[in-house]
Amino acid sequence: MSGHDSKYFSTTKKGEIPELKEELNSQYKDKRKDAVKKVIAAMTVGKDVSSLFTDVLNCMQTENLELKKLVYLYLINYAKSQPDLAILAVNTFVKPLKTVSYATFTRNTQDPNPLIRALAVRTMGCIRVDKITEYLCDPLQRCLKDDDPYVRKTAAICVAKLYDINAELVEDRGFLDALKDLISDNNPMVVANAVAALAEIQDNSSTPIFEITSHTLSKLLTALNECTEWGQVFILDSLSKYKAADAREAENIVERVTPRLQHANCAVVLSAVKMILQQMELITSPDVVRNLCKKMAPPLVTLLSAEPEIQYVALRNINLIVQRRPTILAHEIKVFFCKYNDPIYVKMEKLEIMIKLASDRNIDQVLLEFKEYATEVDVDFVRKAVRAIGRCAIKLERAAERCISVLLELIKIKVNYVVQEAIIVIKDIFRRYPNTYESIIATLCESLDTLDEPEAKASMIWIIGEYAERIDNADELLESFLESFPEEPAQVQLQLLTATVKLFLKKPTEGPQQMIQVVLNNATVETDNPDLRDRAYIYWRLLSTDPEAAKDVVLAEKPVISDDSNQFDSSLLDELLANIATLSSVYHKPPETFVTRVRTLQKTDEEEFPEGSEGAYSETSSAHAADNGASPPPTSSTPPYATTKQPAPAAPVPDLLDLMGLDGDGGGDNAAVPVDQPVKPAGPPLPILLPAATGQGLEISAQMVRKDGQIFYSIMFENNTQTPLDGFMIQFNKNTFGLAAGGPLQVPQVQPGTSERTLLPMVLFQNIAPGPPNSLLQVAVKNNQQPVWYFNDKISLLVLFTEDGRMERTAFLETWKSLPDSNEVSRDIPGIVINNVDATIEQLAPSNMFFIAKRKNANQDVLYLSAKIPRGIPFLIELTAVIGVPGLKCAIKTPNPEMAPLFFEALETVLKS
Amino acid sequence: MISQFSLFARTFLWSFLLIFDIPHSTDVDRGDVQKGSAEIFFRKVKFWNEDGEAEAPPVFNVDGVNYFHAKVVGLLFVATTRANVSPSLVLELLLRIARVTKDYLGILNEDSIRKNFVLMYELLDEVIDFGYVQTTSTEVLKSCVFNEPIMVDAARMPPLGPAALFMQGSKRMPGTAVTKSVVANEPGGRKREEIFVDIIEKISVTFSSSGYILTSEIDGTIQMKSYLSGNPEIKLALNEELNIGSSSGRSLYDYSGSTGSGAVILDDCNFHESVRLDSFDVDRTLTLVPHDGEFPVMNYRMTQEFKPPFRINTLIEEAGSLKAEVILKIRAEFPQNITANTVVVQMPVPSYTSRISFEMESGAVGQVTDFKESNKKLEWGLKKAISLLLTSLQVVGGSEHTLRAKLTFSQESHGNITKEAGPISMTFTIPMYNCSRLQVKYLQIAKKSKTYNPYRWVRYVTHANSYVARI
Repeated sequence: MSGHDSKYFSTTKKGEIPELKEELNSQYKDKRKDAVKKVIAAMTVGKDVSSLFTDVLNCMQTENLELKKLVYLYLINYAKSQPDLAILAVNTFVKPLKTVSYATFTRNTQDPNPLIRALAVRTMGCIRVDKITEYLCDPLQRCLKDDDPYVRKTAAICVAKLYDINAELVEDRGFLDALKDLISDNNPMVVANAVAALAEIQDNSSTPIFEITSHTLSKLLTALNECTEWGQVFILDSLSKYKAADAREAENIVERVTPRLQHANCAVVLSAVKMILQQMELITSPDVVRNLCKKMAPPLVTLLSAEPEIQYVALRNINLIVQRRPTILAHEIKVFFCKYNDPIYVKMEKLEIMIKLASDRNIDQVLLEFKEYATEVDVDFVRKAVRAIGRCAIKLERAAERCISVLLELIKIKVNYVVQEAIIVIKDIFRRYPNTYESIIATLCESLDTLDEPEAKASMIWIIGEYAERIDNADELLESFLESFPEEPAQVQLQLLTATVKLFLKKPTEGPQQMIQVVLNNATVETDNPDLRDRAYIYWRLLSTDPEAAKDVVLAEKPVISDDSNQFDSSLLDELLANIATLSSVYHKPPETFVTRVRTLQKTDEEEFPEGSEGAYSETSSAHAADNGASPPPTSSTPPYATTKQPAPAAPVPDLLDLMGLDGDGGGDNAAVPVDQPVKPAGPPLPILLPAATGQGLEISAQMVRKDGQIFYSIMFENNTQTPLDGFMIQFNKNTFGLAAGGPLQVPQVQPGTSERTLLPMVLFQNIAPGPPNSLLQVAVKNNQQPVWYFNDKISLLVLFTEDGRMERTAFLETWKSLPDSNEVSRDIPGIVINNVDATIEQLAPSNMFFIAKRKNANQDVLYLSAKIPRGIPFLIELTAVIGVPGLKCAIKTPNPEMAPLFFEALETVLKS
Repeated sequence: MISQFSLFARTFLWSFLLIFDIPHSTDVDRGDVQKGSAEIFFRKVKFWNEDGEAEAPPVFNVDGVNYFHAKVVGLLFVATTRANVSPSLVLELLLRIARVTKDYLGILNEDSIRKNFVLMYELLDEVIDFGYVQTTSTEVLKSCVFNEPIMVDAARMPPLGPAALFMQGSKRMPGTAVTKSVVANEPGGRKREEIFVDIIEKISVTFSSSGYILTSEIDGTIQMKSYLSGNPEIKLALNEELNIGSSSGRSLYDYSGSTGSGAVILDDCNFHESVRLDSFDVDRTLTLVPHDGEFPVMNYRMTQEFKPPFRINTLIEEAGSLKAEVILKIRAEFPQNITANTVVVQMPVPSYTSRISFEMESGAVGQVTDFKESNKKLEWGLKKAISLLLTSLQVVGGSEHTLRAKLTFSQESHGNITKEAGPISMTFTIPMYNCSRLQVKYLQIAKKSKTYNPYRWVRYVTHANSYVARI
């Protein structure tokens, strides 16, 4: 009588566990089977059934396949859904495990039934306990060479599992070679899994393990045709890292990948597109490129017939693709027209692409669509449609007039939010085409009193101020806004201030003069907004000292804005395109900004592969090289491409704390190091950023340090050439914090065979790189004898934490409460053990992370600390850990949550030192 | 109740949640880490709603965890990972898991999954190993999955009319064939030998205000579900005059209209991996050994001009500043022996409409009209969405239906109602009709013996996807 599985969820009146225990030991196998199912059910709802572990395991000693599988299922799910408990259980029951299960496991890996053999090896790999690995090796070795492909493919994945637990063991036992052998297996499933496992292992390793040579390439391309769809995705994704030697090879690869575009599985199609796009970069023949674009278009469009979830992913990818290759879908704009029943997330993405594909040829059609969307029901969509019209106007000069007339039509419907959105975009249109469309101002003014959104208000006020001389009643209009000045949001206040000043400068009559006094008074005395106050004071000063100068400043000609629909700068676009068909291409963010698994040890070994070797470049390094190529440091000569392929920042995280400690007792004087007395290379070793092999004999090691509240670049030059080197100069590229040299680099002549070391004072906020914060610091160094050298360094927040970062408890609490939850970012930092809270506090203090309070929460200790980086940006830190147990949870709140990744990196550096 | 099927390890940490309708999300009852992720997921999805954006995107990241979800017939299939994986792979996988589940359980719903959770565990365990998809083929899974599906009581299912088979979810996985499991044995012993081939087309048409076709598109699928034992080889022949790859736009006019006997021109198509195309270029036949389970043999897309099944005429007459009359005319332009089902026409009217009185044609039977005022949207501060509905359960080919609606406004219109009233949209299902004229000319099953004569079902159906007439 086998009722429904759901009956297993029902609780029994008397003790459930003893009852189950009894059933598990029943002599009837059906009863045991039912009992195991009940145990699994209990587990799903979160009940602790670990005390039944041994009893369930005992059921494994059966010849009944179904029961055996259930036990394995129990084990796997136990290990996966409750890894902590599983480890606990395994530790508690290590003896029964050894005596009962491993014997059975091992026996099962020799079972005549391949299903059992595979099952055993699969399950063993899922129990993430170091102790079991020794038992796993021999069976695994056997299974990798099993006759049955089902077993081999399972064993291949098991190697990746084992590598994750104990990488050394995998290397020692030669499992990597065994995996590589499987690439030549005659079963495509096995090949695909071997490739997947190798790719995963490579991802987690700093040494080159899985290099795709032209030989493996051709093997994998052959396997591609016979693989399952999922296997094709693994293979395509790992092949996409392969850099073809020349255009001819690239064309050959593309030719063999192109048939994948016809696959019904969207993942296969997108991975194939990624691969083709990568290789296209190398193809020089315009005919071939054109032809490829033509071939890619229909499958890309077909993705839009899939389920909306997949459409969304496709659209985000297409958005990137058309930025690089606008011709691909230039004639397909119709397929991006919104369907009324598209989910809103699909509609929004379609709009973006429509703007990107809009051209003089299709703009009329596009405008007709936008106009239609602007009368739909969904407010967000309507707003975006209105904005899209404005963006088209800015993008297409010849269509600007038509766009504006559509906007005016929409304004006439007098739907409040449409009007406001239209005014915002019209302001931009005025800035794009000055002195062209001002005739419509009168129409805009009609809707003045309906404006209630800050951005729209601010835009309208800007327009009035900017064109005060053409609007007869500009003073009246502005005055109507002035009444509510104190209640307006800052954005509007700032615009009102500026507009009034403009009006006064253009029409210095009595009315405006009175207005300006009211405004200046309001904006200086009555406000506590520093931005507004500062701006008001500047105007005040200007107006009172030299009205003509004020005119020059306030009424200066503004730079013409341009179309922003191709938002990404080319280096970011390169990186995102290299990540097509990954999450990165959906978020439009580089992977390191959202992948929490920090891969600090990325590519220290690249220097082992001289140029031109057939070595595989890791995905990140190619993106990196492109990065450098696209935005070279601002020096006079552009380096040849080859030299930009510098070794990446020496990855091992430098031991900053130590360094600062030691430096502390060295040069006690602050600021710049005396010109003639360079510090001798005595300090601790600095990470090598430019190896001698790359620098034609010049080796540069450097690191940023903080000393006495100031940031220095500690840099050492080692001359391995035959000639003395002199005339050293240094320059830093734009970076997140605007770090730049605070003075000239003072290095004396470096004699052959010697080295010189110096501390270069650094200043902040000089040349700030736009975009999300990152730690990249690109450095260029030149001397009189050699070409310019470029290398990359990493900025650690540790050198930026200021000495005044300590916060009072109350201030901390208030700040914490005042910041919205969206400003809270948290991350688990595995592998860190806190053994003593006080020691940790002491460990953090030298880095200017200051202790505020601590409390206990059950068995956890919670620590609160504060830190500050320049410009007074605070970080409120909460650390949660169980003493002596690995794993630390760190939550921070800060006005600049986008700095969080950098913060976590810094924290990890300190705690790991 | 949420049943959560969590799978695999740390590096590639994904877990699967098969989550049954959102309103019950408070019942989450699990005591481990993944409880957190389920909660975060729900909070995020709900938050998106409150924020005004109607639906959370299918992929998003919270605290370094990436959440994927796909909706299939009201169920949410969710996966999570920390790695930079291929999102199309994960979403495609979720949809496939839904399909495999349906193959196994016959019916995909909360009840059937809950009754079969151990089977679900076993299935997912075979589908994914350490984050790597092993197979999603029901055929392959059958050989290594031992749990027998427990069937949901068929009597408790809502009655399914003949056409209702094709109706569940017009956009998602068209529910085809029958609701019986591919793997379970029939109570009466042997299974009936039969195979279903469904040609399912979703059509999108946008008419301009003057009745011209602005855009038109057909998304088609040839879907197969086989209950044949012994996996015989199958030959499927399509129209001989079938071209693939129209250079977009231009070729439209080379072929006169859609009623003519011209070639069928597909913009693009793709095939299931089991399909062999050896003779496709010669005689347009597909050869395959059908897998167990439901799967698309071929997907195709067509923008070639076709005859839209319905014509919509709208006339709006303003009668003074506070009144207007809307006349909607629907003409079915398909043969008389065909009947369209569940035809619904909607039109948003200006937000200041306070009352509508309807006047139906004489002899209208089974027609329902409705004036819907959505209060929910008012709360969000959106433009009041008021719809005008004309529901007629069935429309016979060649017939014409008219609806007159008198609108009364609570304030004076801004002068142009057409700008404030919506485009008219239609949904419908037309069984045994397809617009592309793509046909299965014959379906040949390799004979095992002389007496072997399985049931063959070739069915056509057309769904409205986005069928819109602007005014």
